[in-house]
Amino acid sequence: MGAEPTAQELKDLVAEFEPGKGHLLPALHRVQETYGYISRDAIEAVARQLNTTPALVYGCVTFYADFRTHRPPETEITWCSGPACRLAGGERIREAIEHTLELPLGGHSDDGRYGLHLGQCVGTCHESPQVWVNGEVRGGLTVAGAIRLAREVKAAE
Amino acid sequence: MNACLQPIIDEAKRAWAAEQASGRVKITVTLDTSSIARGAEQTIAAIRDVAAKKKLDVDLSITGSWGFCWAEPTLTVRTAAGTRTVLYANVTADRVEELLEKTVVEGSDLPALAVGVVEGNATPEIPLLAEHPFMHGQVRRLMANLGLTDPENITHYLAHGGYEGFGRALEMDPEAIVKEVLDSGLGGRAGGGFPAGRKWDFLRTATAEPRYLVCNADEGDPGAWVNRVLMEGDPQLIVEGMLIAALAANARWGYIYVRYEYPLAVRRMQIAVDQAREKGLLGENILGTGKDFDLVVFKGAGAYVCGEETGLINSIDGYRGMPRIKPPFPAQAGLWNKPTNVNNVESYANAPLIMREGSAWWSSVSDAREKGTKMFTFSGAVKQPCCVEIPFGPKVRDVLMQYAGGPASDRPIKGFQPGGPLSGVVAASGLDLTLTLDPYRELGLFLGGGGIVFFDDSACTVDLCRYFLSFAEDESCGRCTTCRGGTQRAVEVLRRIQSGGGHVGDFERLEGLVRWLVYSNCFHGQFAMTTVKTALKQFRAEWVEHIEEKRCRARVCPGLFEYRVKAQGDAKLAEAKDICPTGAIAEEGGKYSVVDSLCIRCDACREVAPAAMELRDRAVVPVVAGAAAG
Ligand SMILES: Cc1cc2nc3c(=O)[nH]c(=O)nc-3n(C[C@H](O)[C@H](O)[C@H](O)COP(=O)(O)O)c2cc1C
Ligand code: SF4
Ligand code: SF4
Ligand code: FES
Repeated sequence: MGAEPTAQELKDLVAEFEPGKGHLLPALHRVQETYGYISRDAIEAVARQLNTTPALVYGCVTFYADFRTHRPPETEITWCSGPACRLAGGERIREAIEHTLELPLGGHSDDGRYGLHLGQCVGTCHESPQVWVNGEVRGGLTVAGAIRLAREVKAAE
Repeated sequence: MNACLQPIIDEAKRAWAAEQASGRVKITVTLDTSSIARGAEQTIAAIRDVAAKKKLDVDLSITGSWGFCWAEPTLTVRTAAGTRTVLYANVTADRVEELLEKTVVEGSDLPALAVGVVEGNATPEIPLLAEHPFMHGQVRRLMANLGLTDPENITHYLAHGGYEGFGRALEMDPEAIVKEVLDSGLGGRAGGGFPAGRKWDFLRTATAEPRYLVCNADEGDPGAWVNRVLMEGDPQLIVEGMLIAALAANARWGYIYVRYEYPLAVRRMQIAVDQAREKGLLGENILGTGKDFDLVVFKGAGAYVCGEETGLINSIDGYRGMPRIKPPFPAQAGLWNKPTNVNNVESYANAPLIMREGSAWWSSVSDAREKGTKMFTFSGAVKQPCCVEIPFGPKVRDVLMQYAGGPASDRPIKGFQPGGPLSGVVAASGLDLTLTLDPYRELGLFLGGGGIVFFDDSACTVDLCRYFLSFAEDESCGRCTTCRGGTQRAVEVLRRIQSGGGHVGDFERLEGLVRWLVYSNCFHGQFAMTTVKTALKQFRAEWVEHIEEKRCRARVCPGLFEYRVKAQGDAKLAEAKDICPTGAIAEEGGKYSVVDSLCIRCDACREVAPAAMELRDRAVVPVVAGAAAG
């Protein structure tokens, strides 16, 4: 996930995809896996490659929760929105983390150091209530524990 | 048996036998998303380290889930002679040295972590696994290889009856395959229960070409992970199932649509497809039969409605995953407007068993109208969140007590959700319902894909409704005003009730929404209000308390209770003040108080100073703007 890609790099990245073959999502995944997010230039490159309009591609990018149009933060807390986590206090954990980080779900700090993301249940409900920090489970959280975690993330350089 | 297939199977059996006869102790670790969350990767690393340090020569292998999700990491240890295998649970990295010392060095067992004896004789300390309460009554057919074989190795699958069902199907004509599946009584496992054989026959008799198969592995219902367990544990079963369906319906291509949130399932499905292709089981001219069929593993991108079959089709087609208007049905116009059949992961996965063992054997397991076994996951307010495979028919209460270990605490179970956010809620009186489709349908709910979530009396019914309605609102594709606007409206009303602004007209308002949303295009909108509908009926008193008395007995709804300092002088109060994320705890001259307008009811203060803080009904419920009008 390095610097901004050039138009040529984007074109090469998606060169193997073809129109009319169900390649839109795979192409978008390729872009996001490579750069961490899908930029406006990438949307245009994908549209050109698949012989469609940037509007249609953009519509898809925004429809699906897992496509990002902004660079992901360095440290991301993903909060599990699932039922087991909620029954174990997940909603209170969300509120507490939002207030600690001073961010809504989906937000990130101005300097891009940290952010908060809504996650779906992946069937690790036995660890409820949980969040993931850059993909790693932090389970059996208390609200106080979640606040401390969020404070650490916020304070870390 | 097909002349090309038999040697492949024979070879795999020889390879498996050779592996088993290595003369070394074999340790097989469950490696799936659940066990990884509980440290299985660290356990594997520790096994490698300890084995290297102590110069122990062990075989180390990975496998799928035993279903003991709450007690991961699990692993089996098989003796060098191969005569005894024991299943261990909670084997975190720090227990590895002890385990290897006992089992590998001393050649005995470690009863402290042992669950049961898989192979060999029981001891006074370790019973047979089959007699373990968690295994009792389970019929592990789909899960037969989980705990035994490596899901990333097709050879293991082939050595355990894999592709024998496909081999049988190759010798039958499509009508005969359809008939076998129809005779079995296999119903769709996503919850609808529609006969799979009939769906395959629709595709078989469709006129346009090419035909497509889609495996719905979107598993979007939060609280359900049965499809994940199967994909991560035995992906070849799904590949073989789709191959059989392809023979029955003359399909040319298949797509396995796996949700984005399941990266390990995506990876294992891809490995399975690649390995099947290498063996000539997928691709052109399969095993020299002249038949062509190939599979694409397709990764979703996070949208619940893409689990709806036509939303899923649109998603593969390269559009937003908005459910289409039916008809036309997928069997007439699906992917690229060609005939398409969509089935759930578990529906396809049963086909190899039906073809291998015959429909009579397959359906004999269940006394209920629904034939065969079903995988379920249990979660929420239970001791043992887990995954099981059982015949349809037991009472919910029994599975709760036996498999899920009963309520998580001494709080009583208040109810459960039978299958996903659209399925409704059942009060505790419904714990005597059986796990079959009809009883739920009769109550206006449905038993979904297998994820059952229990809640106890710490949960508030109104809050649960708002939760599921918020989910439905977030995930609405936006096509229908009823669904998009209706869920939004319901959330508004519920939020207002939760913040203390409920009034009697809200019953009629919510019941109106229940009536209107059924005019939505797809099940998402049609069933979005099921939770509210069923909760209004079954938990009426709680609604009256919220709306008329402004009281939330579970103390969940933020506007209906408040925090108070009850014990000044408690040493923990300073810590409570410090943890409060909003600065709602004020201190003046050693006296602490809660500034209610800042308090978000997060409970952190009470966690750190349980004796000093208390909750109480709100003395004066503030008038919420718009309460009367809205
Ligand atoms: C909003 C919505 C979400 C759905 N999600 C899933 C899902 O995640 N997995 C699934 O197999 N079926 C899901 N379904 C049901 C599918 O539309 C379809 O009926 C099912 O895949 C058919 O498979 P079966 O006949 O094998 O049960 C969903 C339906 C709706 C309306
Ligand atoms: S009911 Fe809801 S999800 Fe279904 S098509 Fe209409 S708006 Fe979309
Ligand atoms: S409940 Fe949360 S916000 Fe309210 S006083 Fe306690 S810690 Fe602060
Ligand atoms: S509810 Fe959080 S992982 Fe299932």
